[in-house]
Amino acid sequence: MKNPTSIKFLVLIFLFFVSCALSLFIGGSESLTLRDLTPDHFIFWQIRFPKTLTAIIAGSTLSAAGLILQVIFRNPLAGPYVLGISSGASLMVALSILAGSSFHFFEMFFIGKSFMVFSAVTGSFFITLLVLAISKKVNSNVVLLLIGLMLSQICSAVQTALEYFSDPNNLKSFVIWGMGSLSHTNNNDLLIYLPIALLCLTALLFFVKPLNALLLGQNYAQNLGVNFNRSRFYLIMISSVLTGVTTAFCGPIAFVGIAVPILSRMIFSSSKQQLHFFSCLLIGAIILLLSDALAHTLMRDIVLPINMITTFIGAPLVIYLMFKNKHW
Amino acid sequence: MGNMPCITLKNVHLGYKKPGTVLNVLSDINIEFYPGDFVGVVGLNGTGKSTLLKTICGLQTPLDGEISIGGTPISELALIELAKKVAIVLTEKIKGFNLTAYDAVASGQMPYTNSFNRLETKNIEIIEKAIVTSGINAHRSKLLNELSDGLFQKTMIAKALAQQTQSVLLDEPSAFLDYASKHELFLLLKHLCHKENKCVLVSCHDLDLLLKYCDNLLVLSEGTVELIKVSEASQNRQFMTIAGGYL
Repeated sequence: MKNPTSIKFLVLIFLFFVSCALSLFIGGSESLTLRDLTPDHFIFWQIRFPKTLTAIIAGSTLSAAGLILQVIFRNPLAGPYVLGISSGASLMVALSILAGSSFHFFEMFFIGKSFMVFSAVTGSFFITLLVLAISKKVNSNVVLLLIGLMLSQICSAVQTALEYFSDPNNLKSFVIWGMGSLSHTNNNDLLIYLPIALLCLTALLFFVKPLNALLLGQNYAQNLGVNFNRSRFYLIMISSVLTGVTTAFCGPIAFVGIAVPILSRMIFSSSKQQLHFFSCLLIGAIILLLSDALAHTLMRDIVLPINMITTFIGAPLVIYLMFKNKHW
Repeated sequence: MGNMPCITLKNVHLGYKKPGTVLNVLSDINIEFYPGDFVGVVGLNGTGKSTLLKTICGLQTPLDGEISIGGTPISELALIELAKKVAIVLTEKIKGFNLTAYDAVASGQMPYTNSFNRLETKNIEIIEKAIVTSGINAHRSKLLNELSDGLFQKTMIAKALAQQTQSVLLDEPSAFLDYASKHELFLLLKHLCHKENKCVLVSCHDLDLLLKYCDNLLVLSEGTVELIKVSEASQNRQFMTIAGGYL
């Protein structure tokens, strides 16, 4: 092998296209073939296409957010879901659905959606800052994880209270949304979702140098000419928007954000964050696309919740890492 | 010229500000350091050795006074410019994230690379030279957590070398090292001062090492600092107090 890194990337790109095809053509009510690909095929363009694109965006945004969080906390066990950041976003979305139903502005599509996205981003930003403040007091990776779990429980408890007192219509949308799904995003939603995701990921590309420096810790990063506080602030902003916007459209999706950067470090034994940035986008998209294909095919006529699949992939990986106690 | 000081401290007061109180650690420091100086920083625990080193490289701000690097006050230097003038080696351990010895050394070139941190041929040459000078060539692809304490310190010194700075500050680099590694480390530092004309400030509790290898000693005691020659150490009351009468 002349250059293992580029070969691995080629394999990932190949897998990406295969999983795209699986997600587009297989599953759900009927399997499609290339012959069905007419410009007005309803199932393909109105259901499969937005679902597949959503899986790609959700997978890559959550993985990128996970990558940022793991570097900022210098903790390979950090991620938007396990630190309670997704739950913070969820809680704010629940609140915004409640507020939306009382003020009737959800009937106006763009305002309603933008409000939801804004709430989710606010929620994830607030929880990230909170976890960051707490993380300065604790030294242990695992304790940080427990604190994230507690924060996530608190958010869920408040959300349950909201659900308990809400009317049946709202309750249904809370619960379905809370299970996490890639199928609730239509082509109009994507007009908001895709640009925000692309903007954040492009912005992140310009922070690969601070990301690399932050691996060495605050003091060394600063001694290498990186403005630590400013870089960290922008990185937290980016990861909050990435997590928030995906949570707003797909609900809280479990374990992708923590597992993908870990997988990326296992596949590429490199510390270069610019490499992990691209590989996280690819691996994240592949994992969610495959999870989605599994959710549609594992049981006949039933679509399983996507969180069930991602948890089955992500949670054992985290447990394995804890046992191995290796510093990925 | 060679006579330009590379680090100047003018009426500097060091310490910590806490809400309501100011904790003064060192007062009224006036010293200059020159290229080629090998200075040992000595003082009992808690006398401000780390604070002094961290303040000189801009990781902490002084309570009062002015620190200049190469004639320019730190407050007027951009972070990236400061990074090209002073490098520091700290006591903290770095590990994880697939970081190898080579990666750590390569990070020293970060102030010189583009915003995507791409290493060009000229960057790689400097990194290679730093690796060879520090004697870690055989261990370059090891992960940082696989390195012994001695190799880890050498790696971080190589990183400081790759940073191409006039001054290198080291905070207790000899802690946890075995006897031979300590001497290798100080021989390396001495080489940097005398062969590469760098100004090296090293804080250390091994007074015999400092007496053997350094040119000057910066004695921190009772809230003040004093720069003395190594040959005068035995006549210096403060230094002998730090030695506790055991030298």
